Formats: sequence, C-alpha cells, structure tokens
Amino acid sequence: MTAKPQELVDTPAPTTITRRALVKIGGALFVWLAIPAEFSATAAATGGGAASGTSPDPTQLASWLEIRSDNTILARTGRAETGTGMSAYYAQTIAEELNVGPESISLLTGDTDKTPDGGYSAGFLTGMSNLRKVSAYTYQALLALAATQLQVPVSALTVTNGIVAGGGQSITYGQLVAGHHLDLKIPVSGTLAKPDPSQWIGVTSLDGLTVTGNPLTKPIAQYKIIGTSYPMPGIPDKVTGKTQWSCDVTLPGMLHARMVRPASLGSKLVSVGALDRKQFPAAEIITKANLVAVVSPNEWEAVSASRAVATATKWTDWSGLSGSENVSQALRRFPWDKPAQTRGDGEAIAAALTGTPKTISATYDQGYVRHAPIGPFVAVADAHLDATTTIWTHSAQSQGLRARMAELLGVPTEKVIVRWLEHSGQYGRTTFGGDGAEADAVILSVLTGKPVRVQWTLQEDLAWSSVSPAWISDVEAVCDAHGRITALHTAQYSPHMTDPRPLGAILAGMPCSTSKPGNWIATEWVYDKINRFEQAYGMPNLGAETSTGGLRGNIMRTPGQRQQNFAVECLMNEAAAAAKADPIEFRLAHTSDRRMVDILNATAKAAAWQSRPSPQRNASKTGNSALTGRGVCVMLRANAYWVGVAEISLTPSSGAIKITKFTIGADVGKIINPRQLDRCMKSGVVMGLSETLKEEVTFDSSKVTSINWDRYKILTMEETPEIQVVQISRDDKGFGGGSEAANAIVAPAVAAAVFDATGVHPRRIPITPAFLTNLLKA
Amino acid sequence: MASDLTLTVNGSQHTISAAPETPLLFVLRNELKLTGPRLGCGMAQCGACSVLLDGEEIRSCITPASYAVGKRIVTIEGLPEVWASQKGLSTADAANILHPVQQAWIDEQVPQCGYCQSGMMILAVQLLAKNPNPSVAQIKDAFTNTPPSPHLCRCGTYVAIIDAVQRAAKAMRGESHTP
Repeated sequence: MTAKPQELVDTPAPTTITRRALVKIGGALFVWLAIPAEFSATAAATGGGAASGTSPDPTQLASWLEIRSDNTILARTGRAETGTGMSAYYAQTIAEELNVGPESISLLTGDTDKTPDGGYSAGFLTGMSNLRKVSAYTYQALLALAATQLQVPVSALTVTNGIVAGGGQSITYGQLVAGHHLDLKIPVSGTLAKPDPSQWIGVTSLDGLTVTGNPLTKPIAQYKIIGTSYPMPGIPDKVTGKTQWSCDVTLPGMLHARMVRPASLGSKLVSVGALDRKQFPAAEIITKANLVAVVSPNEWEAVSASRAVATATKWTDWSGLSGSENVSQALRRFPWDKPAQTRGDGEAIAAALTGTPKTISATYDQGYVRHAPIGPFVAVADAHLDATTTIWTHSAQSQGLRARMAELLGVPTEKVIVRWLEHSGQYGRTTFGGDGAEADAVILSVLTGKPVRVQWTLQEDLAWSSVSPAWISDVEAVCDAHGRITALHTAQYSPHMTDPRPLGAILAGMPCSTSKPGNWIATEWVYDKINRFEQAYGMPNLGAETSTGGLRGNIMRTPGQRQQNFAVECLMNEAAAAAKADPIEFRLAHTSDRRMVDILNATAKAAAWQSRPSPQRNASKTGNSALTGRGVCVMLRANAYWVGVAEISLTPSSGAIKITKFTIGADVGKIINPRQLDRCMKSGVVMGLSETLKEEVTFDSSKVTSINWDRYKILTMEETPEIQVVQISRDDKGFGGGSEAANAIVAPAVAAAVFDATGVHPRRIPITPAFLTNLLKA
Repeated sequence: MASDLTLTVNGSQHTISAAPETPLLFVLRNELKLTGPRLGCGMAQCGACSVLLDGEEIRSCITPASYAVGKRIVTIEGLPEVWASQKGLSTADAANILHPVQQAWIDEQVPQCGYCQSGMMILAVQLLAKNPNPSVAQIKDAFTNTPPSPHLCRCGTYVAIIDAVQRAAKAMRGESHTP
C-alpha cells in the first residue's frame, strides 16, 4: 500500500459528443453543444486547468456534476468534510433533486484544481444551496432529454432511482447521457478567493461562488432522502485503514521537516545550534529570518536532529504577556475605544437603566481556549516558482489557503494548487485559510528545491497555533415589579478573533495579510419581550507587538456566540433566581417565539424537569457530601433553536463537579439526517463540557505553558455523562445549522446547576475544582 | 546507526533498515506504509498511535522498533485477520470480512474526523479480549484509566464509542443486535 496523492482522485473517462439540442427551462436558455472531444475531455476531467492550477469553469455543468454511463454520479465541491457529516448531506441533497439513491453519488472535495466553487467548508447551508440548484438544473435538463428520447412530454415522465419512465418505456440516466456531453450552463455569481490586504480578512471572496437563478426544486414536504439517516460515506475507509490522510502524503525525493520554534512569542533568532553531521548525516538546517527547521529524507532523523539543534539554538529574551491568571484584569485595563458593533436602541435602554430601582448586573469572564485537535498541523508542499506549486492540506478553506500561499510566494493564484485530504478536526482554526503548517512547507520547499512535509509536534501546536481569545462581558438588566426583564444592556470585550496569518510566513518575514482587530455581535435574539442594546468591542492580539503577532486570535466552534450567549444566559438564570421563578418558566415569559417555546417544553419534558426556582432547598457552600443541581440555557443560531439541561453532582469541600446527565434539544428546521445530527449534538455537548469544566490556555509572561495534554486538559470518556437528545424537525422553516452549535449551550446550563447546588453564581469558565472551592469560600 | 530489524506485522514478516530506537510508529507508517496508526502527541498521552503488541495495546509513538522484534504487531489493517483466526477462517476469508469492532464502528457511525479512532478500536479489541461483556462503567474505565493515558477524542465521540463497544461485544458473543 502506497500513499500517492495524485491517485487519490480519479479523473473520469472523457465523453464524446454526438448531439446538439436546445432546451428551454424556466425562462433560462441552456445549450447542448457539440464541441471537440479533446476539449470535452479536458473540461470534464479537470475543468481545463490541472497543469496551470486554474480552477474548473463554474459555468460548466461538468465542473460540478458528472453522470456516468454506469449510473454513478461524481459531484465536485471545494467545501470539504469537517467531520460532522456534510459529505452525507451533500449526497442526500443531490440525490433528492435528481431522484437517485445517495449511494450512487461520490464526492470530490476541496481540490482547487478539480472543484469549481471554493467557499467555507463549514458553510454547509450555502454549499448545499449551490449543489441543490445545480442538481435541479440538471434534473430539468435530463427530463427534457428523456422527453425527446422517449417521445413523450415532460409532464408524462416520472423518475425513480435514476430511471426515467413514461409512455410505457423507461431509460436510466446513464443511458440518457451515454455518448452525450451534457453541456448545461450553470449560472453563477462571485469570484474565487484572492489575496487582498485591504479586505476584511486579507483575502477576498472566502464565501466562494454562488449558483444563481431559481430552478424548480423539490418541495420539502416531498422529500424522501433528506430526513433519513444516510451514513457518512468516508467511515468504512477510516475504520479499515484505507483512508489517505494528509499526513500520509509521500512524494519522490520528499524531505521530512521539524520546526525549531522561538523561545518566546517575542524572541528573535540570535544563533542556530550546530548540527552534528556524524550523528545526523542526511539532515540539514534551513533558516529564513526567525523561521528555523531541520530537514532530512528520514523522519526520525529530522526529529532527533531538530531536538539537538533546538537545545543549542539561541533566541533573544522577551516577556510582555500578562500571564493567563491576570488575563481578565489585562482586558479590563485595555483602553477600549468605540464598540466595533452596536445593535438596539441605546438611548431607550440607558433611560430605562437610569432611575430604575430594580436592576441586575453582572460581569462574566472566560479564559483563552484552543481548538486542540488530536492530530497536530501537517502539510506537504512541492513548490516551483517558475511553474505550479502544489500543497497537500487538511485546511477547511482550500481556495483561501491557495490565495494566502500565492500572496506568500508572490505569484498569481493560478500558479498554486491546493489538494485537500482528511485529517484531524479543525473546529474553525483553518476557516480563513491561514493557520497551519502549509506556509512552513512552502517556504522550505522553495529553499530546498524539494517537496517538503512539515509535521508540527503537539507541543508546537498547543503553543503556536492560533487561539480562541479570552472574553469579558458586562450585562445590566432592568426588571419590572414581577422580576421580569424589560430591558437589557450587554457589552462584550475580546482580543482579535480573526487573525489567520500563517506562523511560517510571519517568522520568515514573508507577506501575510490579516484582518483589522474588531468584534461582532453574534447573539441572535429569542427574547422578543426584552428590549435590548448590545455592544461588541475588539482589541488587537494580546502581545500583538511581538515579532510573532502575539497570541493570534482565531475563531473556534460557534465563535463569538458561545462567549456572548454565556453572559446573556447566565444573566437570565440570575434574574430568574432573583425573581424566585423557575428558570424555564422565566424564559417562556420572555419569548413568544413558537419554535423556542416548543423545543424548550419538549426538552424540559425529556429531562423530567420539575418546576421550582433555584437554588434548591438544601443548597450549600460547604460540606463533604455531594449535592445535586440542575440548570438550563437556550440559544438561537442560524435558524436553529437549542436547549441544554445540565444535571450535576457537586461536592463543596473539593469543588469536584460530576455531570450526571445532559439533555440537549434542537429544532434545526428540516432535519437532513437525524442520525448525523444526533451524533453532532452529543459530541458538541462533550466539547462544551470540556470547555466549561477544564479548558484554558495558560501562559506566563513570555510563552504559552499549556503545551501537552497534561496541561491543556480536555474531557475524557469517564467524565462524559449520559446525553439525551431531543429533535424537532419542521417542513416549513427551511434548514438550520445543526452541526456546530451544540457546544455553546453547555456552559450556562452547568453554571446554573452549580448555583442550584450551592447558591453561588459562577461567573467565569472553566469551572475547575480550584476555581469553585475559592468561589465557595469567598 | 541503522540496522536490520525483522518485524511481524499483521501476520507477515518484514525486514527493514532503521535505527533501533526509531519509534515503531515511524517504521509502520514510513517503511511498511501502514497508515492506520497516526501521530498524535508523540509522548503517549492520547492513544492515536496505538497498536497491539502480542495482544496488548501499546503506544507506538514511544515504543522503539527494536522492542517489537519477535513480537506480533497488529494494526487496524490487520484486525480482519485477527477475527478470521479467532473464528477459524482462512487468510483469504479475512480479505472479505471486518473485525466486529470495525463493523460496530461503521454501524454506530463513530468517527467524525476519525483521527483518533484507529487507537480507539485497538483498545476496544484488547478490552473485549479480556472482558467479553463490559458495562458502560467498565468501558469508560478502560478508555480513561488504562496506562499510560486516557484515549482522547477531540470531536467528542465518546458516547458513540461506548455504544459501538457494546455492539461489537454482542456480535463477538454471537448475539444479535438489539438497539
């Protein structure tokens, strides 16, 4: 078994062209055009650009979908699987519109020279819309073709499992297209990503292309495939060892590299340690500015030699960080200027807050956390400045990465090819196409003239990859005589959260654009009975003035909304307690949104929720015996309604918290795949519990210190509770985001459960035993 | 300095040239092209690199290749043969079957990114060899407290793993699945 990336993607056999026809559908004109077979082969196989790195022509149907004579279908999209099941959903979406079985569809994803559209891998809903429209256009074209072939009107045709029947005859899609070139024009808008330092994120068009027009699509009520639990296609290969991961790529003459990173965030290189040629005969040291690496054809030699070189490499000293234990104070001290974004009627809320006798206010803090995949960053690059540079990656933004690597190399994007392969989950850190090992690999490949594979170590990844920044939130609420909230003011403060600059480019002093510091209001409002004013403030990276840009902030799963919702929902729980109201009934009194009400009631029922206020009667701040507590929170995100109910056991003397059960409810509109949604909900709860109870990036005044799994602790299986799932599917509300958000409805529910057990509100996460015992003693 | 090492992997013998202290993981991946085990932490803290050595789960990222000489190494690529041999089937049959643990991982849709799952399945095979009917608490204990470290999954698939281990246990005991 060999790992040859060029074999990962088969190129379909060329079709020949035998007919010309005009098909008019829905007011748009589509052409079946006879074109030379040579061109057709190129167009169908690669979109005409593999050698040059050009992406396939998005106006050509063959760039998106290819129906083969054996009735299988190849679909291409630049958006890749992130582990949450979208490879199943894309197949279901296409199958639904074409009336074929989803198992007949294979996907080619994330390769910039073989897929037409670009876009965020996490942006499933927009990616789905594109493929639905392409499929719908194709379906109408196939019907028209079948009508001609079978000599019956389109209205007399039915399609079942890829077989078109009408007038007592039938024909398969494969037979229909055999020997034909389905030269359907796909209308698109937008452009692919290009470097642009003047733009928000340093690169334009990360959204990728949009398929336009309004082709006739199947009504949701008629769905047969969407709504079923079609399995995720890549799983069998993953459990048998057949998957080719990005870490498996090997090329002839390839060098293995290990990086030697600076001593601190602000260190500059003084001198590189010597390489013992006797001990490491094939190894070489490569440097460019503050970028230092050891390369060797043998991976173990690269590892061993880099360790020896690192020990003897000298860096300047630097200490300019606050230390993680002081991060909230450091954020408080920052001279915040105008908010980056505001929403709501500030004057009305200010007036309500002034002179109102009954207000509740609280401040909430959250530490730095990070994506922390099990597999550290890895990439392979084969750079040719005079021709095309190819990069093998697991980035969730292939076109954006391509743009950033073109910027780094100073070449047009057409001279860069990005090939996507499976790897460890990214949870947002590669969403803007920057963070990763790709820049290291590209620079080293240029400097050595050979293909280079760069494998980061875990310590390196936990110290040097981008981080989800710390957060402080101030919330003030005005309550009426019944304790109900009538007005709310939230102010959210955070360091830069969209800095995707690749570390390699920064250290080597090469071009790498980033965004300006800012922040945004991520909450979506479910409490229509509360008038609110929201402000979000942004600041640069902590330690931004360092040679590495400090702690590079980047988005992470449910970005912004996880942090902001923590503050809002904790305040709701505090206000419910102040009103001596049951926290679910308190929420129901503040919303008339039917979907919120329904999922809240359904989840409460599943959790056997008993109506009563918090804290519970035997709540205590002291004692060696275990107390129980329960708490709730809600969230609206991307047309999806979420509810979390935490049940805990807590021992005040030790601060130990055990989650005994978590019930999670979601109404995500039409559920595409109940099974995949179920596992996204459960696994999201696991990550949310991990963030709530354990995770914090620690750093001293010069460097990150939480650089292994003993220091950056994540949830273990033993700490995972029973998780109960409640789902509501609706045919009349479109599609919502179901894969991401579950992690964000954990922390407020757990904090409320701690209050229920102790009578003390935790206002910071992670709620570690040390934090909790201090809180209870205070 | 490199020397010849003869390793027995998934039932076949291979002689490779490597420095004896080279971690077994690098030999399996780079010399033998067995990419089921993967590099996670490189210091036995996560379990992504786990393989069976004479039936016991070890972390191949810190195990010198020379230590594995004379022992039977099994990666996920070799799990069908393990099951075939337990059931008295031929090597040829092994090419057409999956180990019940692998089948359960498919049936329960366990992998999300899947990076850690090779190691998870290796530990499941070891657990089920010792305890054919583990409780949820015993499964949690095995995946958390078996030295040298917990098996970590960042995607959060622990619940699915528990379900899959119990499903595989039933299949291996010859019982039908009752959801």
